[in-house]
Amino acid sequence: MAAVTNADVEVVDFDLDDDDLMDEDAAAEPSPAPAPASRLRSAIAGDDAPRKTKGRGFRDDPNSSAPRESRFGAGGRNDFDSLGSPIRSIEGWIVLVTGVDEEAQEDDLHNAFGEFGQVKNLHLNLDRRTGFVKGYALIEYENFEQAQSAIKELDGTELYNHKINVDWAFCSGPVKRRNTRKRSPLRARTRSPPRTRH
Amino acid sequence: MATGGGDTGNDEFYLRYYVGHKGKFGHEFLEFEFRPDGKLRYANNSNYKNDTMIRKEVFVSPSVLREARRIIHESDIMKEDDGNWPEPDRIGRQELEIVMGNEHISFTTSKIGSLVDVQSSKDPEGLRIFYYLVQDLKCFVFSLINLHFKIKPIQS
Repeated sequence: MAAVTNADVEVVDFDLDDDDLMDEDAAAEPSPAPAPASRLRSAIAGDDAPRKTKGRGFRDDPNSSAPRESRFGAGGRNDFDSLGSPIRSIEGWIVLVTGVDEEAQEDDLHNAFGEFGQVKNLHLNLDRRTGFVKGYALIEYENFEQAQSAIKELDGTELYNHKINVDWAFCSGPVKRRNTRKRSPLRARTRSPPRTRH
Repeated sequence: MATGGGDTGNDEFYLRYYVGHKGKFGHEFLEFEFRPDGKLRYANNSNYKNDTMIRKEVFVSPSVLREARRIIHESDIMKEDDGNWPEPDRIGRQELEIVMGNEHISFTTSKIGSLVDVQSSKDPEGLRIFYYLVQDLKCFVFSLINLHFKIKPIQS
C-alpha cells in the first residue's frame, strides 16, 4: 500500500520561530484592505474580495486584551490543490464519519465500523442544545489498513436511512500549486552552504 | 452535501475562538483556529500550579473542515450581531471570528457562566446561539486534539 509510506510524516509542536516567519511572510504582502481590518488578527491577509463584516472585533478597543501576535500568526490560504495524504495519530488512525443520524447509538457505530478492525476509540458527540447526536463521529483504528477499508467500504453507504460519509480526519497538509507564493527568503537563509572537504 | 453556502470545498473558510482572562495565574486562555489550508491550531495556557502552555497543530482533512462549516452554518451564527451582548470584562473575554464565503464576523463578549447569563442579557436569542455553538465547536476540536495527540484538553 503506497500510502502507508506517509505514516512517518511528523506532526510537531510549532514553535515561536516558525510563527515569526509566517508573520513576516504575510506582512510582506501589500494589503489594501477594502474591508475594515479586524482589530483581532484575521488570518486572511492580503485578500481583496470585499466582505461583509460584522462585530465588535472590528472596532478599535483600547481596553482589549493583549496583542495576540505572540500566540497565532497570520497566513495560511487555500491556494492548494489537495490536503495531502492521511497521517497517523499518536496511537492510531482516525476516521471522521459525517451525516450520522441524530438518534444513532454508539453500539451501532461500533458494530458497523468494528467489521474492519477493533475500534479503539469512538467519539459520538452530542449537540449541546438538543442532546441528540451532533452529526459526526470520530473513530480510531490501530492500523492504516483497517481505517482505509472502513473508508472504502462505508463511505457513501446508509446508516439509519442517512447517507454517511467516511474519510480520514488528519492529513499531511496542503500540496501547494506551483508558482503561487514564493518561499520566504528567510527560510533559505537558514540553510548553510555545502561544505567542501579537504 | 452542499450546505446552502454552495460549494463547501473551496470557499474561503476561517474560524478562530478565544476565551481567556488575566488574573492571579497570569494570562489564562484557550484558543483554537481552523485555517483555510486545513491547519488546526490549538493553544491552552494556564500558569496554575506552574502549568505551561500547550500548543498543538495538525492539518485536518477537507472533510473535517466541511463538518466545521456545517456546524457553523446550521447554527445561523452568521446572522447574529454582538452589538447587544455583554462587553468583555475583567472576568474574561470570548472572541469568535469566522470567515465563510464573503461574510466575516468577529464577535466579542464576556465569559458566559450559564444559561442564566444568556437569559438575563439584552439579546438572549443571539447569545444562546453563540453559547451553544461555542460548546459544539469546542467539543469537536477537543475530540480531534484528544484523539490525535492523546492529550486531554482542559476547560478554560
